[in-house]
Amino acid sequence: MRLPPFQLHRPETLQEAVSLLAQHGEEARPIAGGTAMVPMMRFGFLRPEHVVSLKGIPGLDEISESDDGLRIGALTPLYRVAGSAVVRAQWPLLARAVGSVATPAIRNSGTLGGNLSYAEAASDPAPALLALEASVLLTGPEGDRTVPITGFFQGFYEADIRPGEVLVEVSIPRIPAGARWSYLRFAARSREDKPLVNVAVVATSEGVRIGLGGVSPTAIRARRAEAVLQGPGLTPQAIDEAADAAAEECDPLSDLMGTAEYRQDMVRVWLRRALTGLQ
Amino acid sequence: MNQEISLVVNGTSHTVRVGDHWTLLDLLHDALDLKGTKDGCGEGVCGACTVLVNGRAVRACLTLAAYVQGAEVVTIEGLARDDELDPVQRTFLELGAVQCGYCTPGMIMMSKALLDENPNPTRDEVREALAGNLCRCSGYTKIIDAVMAVRGAD
Repeated sequence: MRLPPFQLHRPETLQEAVSLLAQHGEEARPIAGGTAMVPMMRFGFLRPEHVVSLKGIPGLDEISESDDGLRIGALTPLYRVAGSAVVRAQWPLLARAVGSVATPAIRNSGTLGGNLSYAEAASDPAPALLALEASVLLTGPEGDRTVPITGFFQGFYEADIRPGEVLVEVSIPRIPAGARWSYLRFAARSREDKPLVNVAVVATSEGVRIGLGGVSPTAIRARRAEAVLQGPGLTPQAIDEAADAAAEECDPLSDLMGTAEYRQDMVRVWLRRALTGLQ
Repeated sequence: MNQEISLVVNGTSHTVRVGDHWTLLDLLHDALDLKGTKDGCGEGVCGACTVLVNGRAVRACLTLAAYVQGAEVVTIEGLARDDELDPVQRTFLELGAVQCGYCTPGMIMMSKALLDENPNPTRDEVREALAGNLCRCSGYTKIIDAVMAVRGAD
C-alpha cells in the first residue's frame, strides 16, 4: 500500500530544516529513520503535505563523551547507541534499554531522537533517560532550548516540542561511582512487542531514581516510590512499599496487551524484581 | 513531486524516477520489477520486506526511497550466484524451512545480515536476530535449524 502523497524536503542544514518546518506549520512534519512516521502516515494518523527529512543533515548523529557526561546526536541510529563502547562501559543502563527497542532491523533505522519525539509511553529508552536525569536540546525558530527529560513528555504521544522545533541532542550526566542499576521490560506476548511495563532504576548513595514505561499516558518518574525508599533504603519491606506506591501513582490504560489493573499488578511485580536485582 | 534516485541493487547500477512518497519497497516492486521482497504488514513488524542497505538489514516498507540515494541494496534476488544458491538459501531448502514461503525472503535476508556480522551465532542469537520476522505457518524450529546449519555448510 502506497503512502499518501507528500512533498519531501531534504535540507542540508539544521537552520534550513527549522525554517521549512516553521514556514509550512501544521502542514509539515519532520522525519528521521521513518520507523514511526511511515506507519503513522500509512495508516492515516498523520497526513502532512510536507515532510522534512532530518537524515541528511551532517553532524546530528555523533556520540561524544566529556567530563560532564555523554551527548548523543538525535539522528544517531539506535543500534549505534546500543553498540557504542562508551555507552556500554559508562552508561550500561542506557545501552540495555536502547538495545531492547523492537527488533534489530528497526534499531538499524530508528533514531534516539525519533524515539523520544514520538513520545510513546511504552518507549524503551524513555524510562532509562528519566532515571538517568537526561536532558534534551531543541532548536527552533526562536533559538535553542534545553528541557530536562522529566518535563519533556507531556501527554499521550505528546512531547514539549514547539512549532518549528526539532530535537537535536540528548545529554546524559555521569553516573556517580558505585551506583547500581537495573533495566527490565515485560512484554506479555512476544519479544517484538512494545513493553507492557518497563522499569529503569539508578541507585546512588543519594537515593533511588525510578523510570516507568507503559503504565501512564507518558513514561514517568515514580516519585512516590522513590520517596518511600529515601529513608530506609533497599530493605525488603521498603521495596514492597515502594512497589505498592508505584502501582498507585501510575495511571495505566487498558488495551489489547492488558487491562489497567493487570498493568498495575505488573508494575508491582517488575519494580520489585528491578529493585532486588540491581547490578 | 518526483525525484531521481541512483542506487546499486544486487550489483547493478540503476537510476529511477520515483514519487517523493515512495518507499524502498515501492521502488523495488514498481520501478525495478523485483517482486521477491514481500509486502506484509506495512508497519515494520512482520519482517517480510527485509533487505540489506549498505550491509545492514532494514525494512523496505519503512525506508523512504530517498534514503537509498547512492546506497547498495541487496534483495533476495541478489543472493544466488549464477546457478549456485547462497548457503542460507540452500540450508533453508535442504532442511524444509519453507512452508507457504511468504516470510522466506525476509527470513533469509535477516539471517544473512546476522551471519555476515556473526558467522558463528548461538541458537539464542539466531532467535534474537529473527525476533522481528514472523512466520504465520509457525515453522520457526526448522528456520532456526537452517540458520544454525549454515555454520557447517560452506
